[in-house]
This record gives sequence, C-alpha cells and structure tokens, in this order.
Amino acid sequence: MIIKKFFIFFSFIVLSTSAFNQVVYEFEDSLQEKRFYSLISEIRCPKCTSGSIASSDAPVSRDLKNKVYELVLDGSTDQEIKTYVSERFGDFSDYRPSLEGSNYLLWFGPFIFLALMLVIFFIKRRV
Amino acid sequence: MNQLLRFLIVILPVVVLIFFAKILLIDEDIKFSTFDSKNFPEFQLNDLNGDPVQSESLNGIKILNVWASWCITCLVEHPFLTRLSEQNIQIIGLNYKDSDLKANAWLEKHGNPYLFSIYDPRGDLAFDLGVTGAPESYLIINNQVVSHIQGEMNQRKWNSIFLPLIQQAKQGS
Repeated sequence: MIIKKFFIFFSFIVLSTSAFNQVVYEFEDSLQEKRFYSLISEIRCPKCTSGSIASSDAPVSRDLKNKVYELVLDGSTDQEIKTYVSERFGDFSDYRPSLEGSNYLLWFGPFIFLALMLVIFFIKRRV
Repeated sequence: MNQLLRFLIVILPVVVLIFFAKILLIDEDIKFSTFDSKNFPEFQLNDLNGDPVQSESLNGIKILNVWASWCITCLVEHPFLTRLSEQNIQIIGLNYKDSDLKANAWLEKHGNPYLFSIYDPRGDLAFDLGVTGAPESYLIINNQVVSHIQGEMNQRKWNSIFLPLIQQAKQGS
C-alpha cells in the first residue's frame, strides 16, 4: 500500500517536471550554452515584479529567451545582446546595472554608507 | 567633534528618509512612461484587412494601442478608446498574437475605434517596440515613439502622461 502511494506521489513529481521542459535549446558547443544560461539569468523579466527571464514563463519572457538563443547562435557578444534587449525594454532589463550616471550611487552607495558609519563609530569611541 | 556627531545623527536619517520617500512616491505609471524617444522600428506587416501597412501612416500625432481578442483588459479600456476616437484622436491598433478571424470578429462585436489595425500574429513588431503584454499604448509623433503606457488606458493616465506631450507637440508645430 505504502509502495503504491509512494509510486503515485513519485510519478506526480516526474510528470510535473517534464511539463516545464517544453522548450529544448540545442547548442553547437558548451560555451554557447553557458553564455545563454548566464544571459537569461541576468535579463530581467519585463512583466514580473522581480525575476529573471530564466525564472519566468510569461509570454514575453519566452520571446526574450528565444531571441537571446537566436542571437547567441548568430555569434553576437554578451554586450550586444544586452544592448539589443535594453534598446527595446529599457535599462531596467539589465540585472547588472551599468557603471554610469545615477547607477554609481547604486553600486557604491552601500560602501559609502558603511564608511560613514565606521567613521562615526571611531569618532564616538574616541569621545 | 561631538557637535558634528550630533549633527550627523540627526541629518543622516533625514537624508535617507527623503531619498527613499522620493523613490516610493514616484507614480508607477509615469516612471515607466518616460524614456528617450526613439524611431519607430521598421516593419513589414499587413493590416487586419490584408493590406500592407505604409510607414507614412505613422506621421503626425498617433496613438498606437496594443490589443488582442483574448485580452480581457482590452475590453475594459475599449469604451475609453472609443471616446478618444470620437474626439478625433487618431488611434492605430496593433493586433498582438491573435488570429485575424477572431480579431475582426471582436471589432465587429465591440466596435472599431482604430484607423486600422496592424496584424502582428507572432509579435515581431511588438517585440521591437518593447511590448510586455496587452494592453499597452504608445504615443507616436512623426514616426518617433515618444511615450509608453503599460496596462489599461484611462482618463487619469491620458491626462497625466499623453495629453501634456500632445499639447506640447501641437504648440511646437
């Protein structure tokens, strides 16, 4: 009886995962594959609150993944692909914000804040 | 030294508070609608009647509305779009990932506020425009994509986002 239940339970797991793997991307070499998977984890899903297109099954994320796949096979560089996406979906689409303009605050703000706190801490100790 | 410290203890949280309050208080609709205007992407598509769409049709002041017969929110904004078209606002439809049969039937049933609808069954033009889903609306002035509204179009968004830009363009010309 327990074995039967376990079998049913197990088959649910197996069947449910196969449903997620509808799209199979085939690559010419493992480098392309690596680049593809790192790119789709760095491009934000435009339809989600927060999540990469890798983690999303929204129609626009599917289109984006297919486009990234196409561009990787065409031999575009990572930067070209990210520019291609951000031209259409905005800078917001890149999970790794570029080092320019107001993004400096984003990158270095926490360190500046930490340094300030340390300064205050040491001043306070001396007092 | 002590004075500086006291000053910092008071002023730092205030600065941080203002910084985050500003971010939180930005109107979401406006945040995503402002961007550097760009040329309308090139495309070769037909309208829902099967005639090729000319790029000259995007001259002047046009609203491009992304819609589909499967899209429920499109039905919600449809009366507002109809009212706009009655006020001589020129609206072009972008029929997104739909079948032309269903799309034409939808227009027949609910009315057609569009000058014409571009038929984009695979979503190619939509992808180049940065459409994330239906409905979305773009303000196009002389082949330039000037502004973008995601989700339902309504009076509030119209007044705060598209209308000022249209008035500005009309004054300029």
